[in-house]
Amino acid sequence: MLDIRLTERGDVILAGRFDAAQLEKARSVLDTLVSTSTVDFGGLEYISSAGLGLLIATQRRLKEGGHELKLRNLSPHIRDIFKIARFDLIFRIE
Amino acid sequence: MQEKFKRDLKSLSRVFRFIDSFFSKHHLDSSKKQEVLLAVEELFTNVLKYQAKSAKGITIGLRKGNGEVTIRMIIPDTEAFDFTKAKDPDVDLPIELRRPGGLGIYLTKRMVDRIEFSYRNRTTTITLTKTIGASDA
Repeated sequence: MLDIRLTERGDVILAGRFDAAQLEKARSVLDTLVSTSTVDFGGLEYISSAGLGLLIATQRRLKEGGHELKLRNLSPHIRDIFKIARFDLIFRIE
Repeated sequence: MQEKFKRDLKSLSRVFRFIDSFFSKHHLDSSKKQEVLLAVEELFTNVLKYQAKSAKGITIGLRKGNGEVTIRMIIPDTEAFDFTKAKDPDVDLPIELRRPGGLGIYLTKRMVDRIEFSYRNRTTTITLTKTIGASDA
């Protein structure tokens, strides 16, 4: 199960598992972002291509407006997935 | 161990519990589990996307032996599509040129050590093999 919430600063906190069944729940939060925002992966243990696809769509939309999605606290496993998908070229990872 | 799952996105949580339980039972490395979960989810959702017409369930079997975990997915009532021959997406493209599609299968290929595909009597069988560490064997 995915836990996703928006902080008062407009950043996103993820926890749990981000699989294909959680896509609409995540979309309902990420689609509200309108400016540069940081996604904290600290509590996230798993992500699949469904989640990656939503992140890249959000990044594309924000970049069109001169903003971006930044990521932080990726676990070693998720960092590996990002490297394999070459998402490390697309996102600023703190 | 083996279980059958409805061809429905709602089954995914049950698939995960099944794999969690197998890895717990055999005290296997959690990082290897994440890789197996990813490979299985990508294949499962690929069936839902492209082979959705049938109501027949998908059987997933897990076995441990010889320093490996073997995952077998049996998908009845399918069209022939050997995803192992699908072209990989170009992951080196900049964001503006990246297109959706293909990433899940690309990741699956990199999460496991071997993939075997067979198709007979409208049934697709996919066998994934994942090497586990010597301490897990």
